[in-house]
Amino acid sequence: MTQSLSKFVKELQAIVGEENATDDQAICASYSRDQHWHFVPAKNPAYIVRPANKEEVRRVLTFANNEKIPVIPYSTGINVRGLTIPVHERSILLDLSRMNRIVEINPEMKTATVEPGVTFGMLLEKTKKYKLRPAFPDAPLTASVLANYYLRGIYQTSAVDGHDHTLSYEMVLPNGETIKTGSRSLSEMPYFRYGVGPDFTGVFCAHPGTCGVVTELTAKLYRLYDNRKEYFVGFDDAGTPRKIIYNLMHDELAASIRLVDNQSWLKGICGTFDYPYEKLPKFVLCVLVEGVDGIFEAKDKLVQEYITESGGTVLEFPEEFKRTFEEESLGGAEKSCMVFGLRGNYHCIGLYGPLTLAAKYYEVHEKTALEVGIPQDHIHFYINPIYSFHGQLCYFELDIFYDGGDLGFGEKLRNYNEKQFHRLLDLGIYGWFRPYAGIIGPTADRIGYLADVWKKYLRILDPNEIMNRGKLF
Amino acid sequence: MEQERKDEILSAIHHCVKCKLCSISSFHPNAEWLPLCPSGQFYGYQAFYAPGRMEIFREILDGEITEPSEGLLKSVYACTLCGACYERCKQITSVELRLPELFEEMRAELVKKGWALDVHKNIAEKIKETRNAYGEKYEYKAKSPDGNADVLYYIGCTARYRVPEIADAMLQIFDKLGIKYRVMNEEWCCGSVLLRTGQVEAAKELMEHNIEEIKRSGAKTVVFTCPGCLMTFEKNYPDMGVELLHSTQFLTRLGGMKVKKQGLEVAYHDPCHLGRDLGIYDEPRAVLSTVADIKKMKREREEAWCCGSGGGVKSAYDEFALWSATERLKEAKEAGAKALVSACPFCKRNLKEAADKEGKGTEVYDIVELVNRSLEG
Repeated sequence: MTQSLSKFVKELQAIVGEENATDDQAICASYSRDQHWHFVPAKNPAYIVRPANKEEVRRVLTFANNEKIPVIPYSTGINVRGLTIPVHERSILLDLSRMNRIVEINPEMKTATVEPGVTFGMLLEKTKKYKLRPAFPDAPLTASVLANYYLRGIYQTSAVDGHDHTLSYEMVLPNGETIKTGSRSLSEMPYFRYGVGPDFTGVFCAHPGTCGVVTELTAKLYRLYDNRKEYFVGFDDAGTPRKIIYNLMHDELAASIRLVDNQSWLKGICGTFDYPYEKLPKFVLCVLVEGVDGIFEAKDKLVQEYITESGGTVLEFPEEFKRTFEEESLGGAEKSCMVFGLRGNYHCIGLYGPLTLAAKYYEVHEKTALEVGIPQDHIHFYINPIYSFHGQLCYFELDIFYDGGDLGFGEKLRNYNEKQFHRLLDLGIYGWFRPYAGIIGPTADRIGYLADVWKKYLRILDPNEIMNRGKLF
Repeated sequence: MEQERKDEILSAIHHCVKCKLCSISSFHPNAEWLPLCPSGQFYGYQAFYAPGRMEIFREILDGEITEPSEGLLKSVYACTLCGACYERCKQITSVELRLPELFEEMRAELVKKGWALDVHKNIAEKIKETRNAYGEKYEYKAKSPDGNADVLYYIGCTARYRVPEIADAMLQIFDKLGIKYRVMNEEWCCGSVLLRTGQVEAAKELMEHNIEEIKRSGAKTVVFTCPGCLMTFEKNYPDMGVELLHSTQFLTRLGGMKVKKQGLEVAYHDPCHLGRDLGIYDEPRAVLSTVADIKKMKREREEAWCCGSGGGVKSAYDEFALWSATERLKEAKEAGAKALVSACPFCKRNLKEAADKEGKGTEVYDIVELVNRSLEG
């Protein structure tokens, strides 16, 4: 390195404007941690750069590539697992929150095209007038639509949406070239995932900012129905509700199906801490039915029949809880974030697997947590099944809600992870929800030559290894 | 800072999971994206939102930040301490520490290191010299008709020297209602601006003086038109055994005012110190509704958008302060209001300045001005 740091800042400021690039220590410190700091320690980026458009992104990447400066893309700042915390010195954190245009909402195509700084809340505000909505993750609605969909075809609060919501996108590579995936590569119509050749839309996904910077993404939107009804059914164990979940999914009856324990996510789903949740059965299945006239009534009738034969207890909740469940499922997670307030931080392993293993996942979660000294009442769990349910696909979340201020607890969590990753892999999973260094490490050994191909592929796209390196391998 | 307090603060910082729901108002059930953090919205960097600012505080406490860089000072001081982030956070996470107080302590830490802003140091100097925050050499001419009255009106620096129409209105209301009142012979600045900007030590002498004067007066009730002064007396002063009331509380309690409704369509702007800090939301609306028609804005009460002038921002970052006020004026206009009414001299001053600059004709008042105008005396 021959240039001084201030020289770099000047060059970056020349691209994005003086107000939008800095190496000020305090400003950089504000990007130094996320909630995963027990695993990924705080580290300041060297520069924060806030581009306004894709041309500025391109110029910043080209500059960084020439200078071999690491770049960490960052969308709206709702980050977990240390994915935007620098590993290397001299890193540029590319804060894309200024790029917050909703480029298009196409109600006829049921699509939205957005920039990285568009949040789920911003998008719903604009789509609701067409009676459309995005698929929501169980992340705050302040999170980025683009980043969530690009990071992984997301799990969501509405089972009916299926798994993959991304149709196409454009990505700026470190060398300054732009690639467009899906039908976007051929025409001005970005509405189809499969364009020419392999499914590049999928190939570039799930790499947390390690290939390039996605500047625009087109995603599916889903219908909002006026007819809705909610049910809450209590179970004493995680295994018994398997049958009703299977039936509801198999017959495609419910918009949202969520099995949660009575001490964590249920509080957010109901929207209050102030309720005697401890008196409820240990697990609660939350079911939301929706549809057009005629179909809705028919679905609802069948749902009621399945509930009757489920062996569970129908819970009578206040109307307000039902409304909150609707809003959280079909309008973005807001109150669900109350789980963060249970003890002040959370740890979770999110994974995809079949419903058939639900009880076993919970069993191994509880066993491992207790082994490493995590108290029973810190151990939580939920299941979101996903249409079209091939492979009985579900998103599972093995949660531990803990006191973030208890520095000693971090050691327990690290011990938990060390054992649990291997146990889950031994038990059998479809995949991890969220790729990050801590979880890819123990997994890479098990995927054979695919890991080599993956690494080589990244090297082709990013030969100077500037893109968020250290976040996968 | 004592280790115990430092640990408490660090623990609170560790409990922030950076969901940033603190930066928007309640989303459900109307599904409207309404920003709530003026500082973050204006400056954009994470450092200007509560989660990022807390990380900066962590680095200060851990001794990692050792220089008062421009970014440090701006991120710490370009915050109005409006407390909207805290209101949202406590709905979601039951957070244990009030964020405005946390950020005040952050400023106090900076002051201890000698890193206060020059403009704030100058205010402290002016106060030392003149006993008011504006360095004015003259006194607001307020008669004190009844030296033995139970009610004492604490006017405050801003209503004395920058928006005297508020003090005038309040005094006229007392007269019209036939209420015996007095003002302090020597009213010194309450110390709010010093406390909010971390200059805690400099406020002590002012507080001692005011306590002594009020005790000596024998007043039983102190009335404030300035929520900043009221909040400072409520939270920073020791209990003086007197009742402290905002003008709208005083007028509500009094009741039975003979007022003539003006037919003016107004929006009510909740001052941060009055609303979020003191929980006074209903009385201003009750009083205002007797003299004007209130149009509801989207962000109100606990989730009101700040006018932009508090926490030392007006003196240090006027462009930001006026931008925030302009945003509020837009909201009032969208609500169909012809005037924006507040219950705070500091809010009025900033909102009025923004309205005048904008030149779009939105009128700005304090509640007591409209009451005085409507009061049959």
